[in-house]
Amino acid sequence: MISFENVTKSYRGSILALRECSVRIEKGEFVFIVGPSGSGKTTFIRLLLREEVPDSGQIWLAGREVTHLASWKVPYLRRNIGCVFQDFRLLPNKTVAENVSFALEVIGRPKHVMRTQVRQALDLVGLGKKQDRLPNELSGGEQQRVAVARAFVNRPLVLLADEPTGNLDPKTSLGIMRLLDRINRTGTTVMVATHDASMVDAMRRRVIELEHGELVRDQARGVYGYST
Amino acid sequence: MTMSMEYAAREAAGNLWRNRLMTMTAVLTVAVSLSLLGATMLMRQAVSSVTVNWGKGVNIIVFMHSGATGGQRKAVNQQLTGMPQVSRCYYVGHAASFAEMKRMFRSEPDVYQQAGLTASEVPTSFRCALANPKDAQVVASAFQNEPGVRSVYDPVKQANTIQKVSGIIQLIFVIVAVILLLSAAVLILNTIRLAIFARRREVAVMKLVGATNWFIRVPFMLEGLTQGIIGAVVATGVVFGMHAFLGYVVKHYHATLLKALVVPLHDVVSTVVVVFLVGMVVGVLGSVIAIRRFLEV
Repeated sequence: MISFENVTKSYRGSILALRECSVRIEKGEFVFIVGPSGSGKTTFIRLLLREEVPDSGQIWLAGREVTHLASWKVPYLRRNIGCVFQDFRLLPNKTVAENVSFALEVIGRPKHVMRTQVRQALDLVGLGKKQDRLPNELSGGEQQRVAVARAFVNRPLVLLADEPTGNLDPKTSLGIMRLLDRINRTGTTVMVATHDASMVDAMRRRVIELEHGELVRDQARGVYGYST
Repeated sequence: MTMSMEYAAREAAGNLWRNRLMTMTAVLTVAVSLSLLGATMLMRQAVSSVTVNWGKGVNIIVFMHSGATGGQRKAVNQQLTGMPQVSRCYYVGHAASFAEMKRMFRSEPDVYQQAGLTASEVPTSFRCALANPKDAQVVASAFQNEPGVRSVYDPVKQANTIQKVSGIIQLIFVIVAVILLLSAAVLILNTIRLAIFARRREVAVMKLVGATNWFIRVPFMLEGLTQGIIGAVVATGVVFGMHAFLGYVVKHYHATLLKALVVPLHDVVSTVVVVFLVGMVVGVLGSVIAIRRFLEV
């Protein structure tokens, strides 16, 4: 499903964000990418979204080579990838339902498809009853659920989450993790970049660890760190 | 497709309304500059319609006294055709001259009716085309004191004076119009920049979920285009207004001198078409520059 082959990425010449990174992630996997700040987690995600282009190496997603994709095809690549971020990135002047349907509207889905898919996505994240609220009327955890619904509403092949629980308390974080787990069980590949050790330890899934841009550990059913 | 057009129109309208003060400024600037442009074009057409009155290719007219004898006429004719500068000549007799005069003063027949002019009293004339229009002065001076000749008229020279004056006015109008059009484009650019800034969160989300670049761009382009078109509509109103006003003044105050400035309706329509095209180009230009500079897709 996702494959990095000897990918190297540096910013402004000097700082190496990723060095000769090779990794394969199969369809339907649930993967944690861990490591301290600046270890290359976010670069990993940005490369997959083609927000950045690597210095060398190849990146494959669903049988397509991402690195050399023509720029006009990039939007179509991104339709296969749902994204969730630490800061939610909801539109404050749109309701919960509008935020979710926006993701379908701007890729030109017909209205009737939008209606059913938005309802299903909101039911999945448990916010069906709050669909007419504005984001600032919701708690942080609920806002992140809306973001997950928006990322998942188009049924992407891959769901990327960059520090999805960074702004949330442990209990709420666990709820979000359970939600991501549920989405994973629908067959969606899920990648979570985090340094939330307790989450990683609780979930016991595959762990890929980066340090200074290098892949230092790839472990099935891993924990956050060796030492603790 | 219809869905995304609906979306684009809704977004563009929303943006325009949110920045209505800026939008109004841009639209008014477009309108003023296009009105000037339209006025210039109408003036051009008016001047050219004044100068074609005497017939195409006529560089010089030798008017005979109404009482000139056949011999005098013959002499002038021979002399004219003998001159190397003159390429071709024709004679306009009493009847034709009278008809022409009637045509020229059809809006105020008093001019000849009160004087009781008859056809035989109207001066006849030779209309000549020159090989080189610059020789008009030379030819004219040769006939100035010829017996039977009333006067020599140099329509090109006359027209030149009109054209020179109107040319200067037109040049000033065009320069002002171009400066205003440029500032209009900059104002439109600025409104689009503000719109892009106001919608940066939406744009970020759109890119994230895979909206195509054109889908993101089109509402902003439509916004610029709309400003150009609204400006053109206002300018069209001004152009038709000027046309109607001149027509009214000519009709009600018998201002014959201004009559030539009232160009036929089809000239006004072609002016309006140009005004619209320029308005659209300015709007699209402003928004395209703004999109290229401020919208990263």
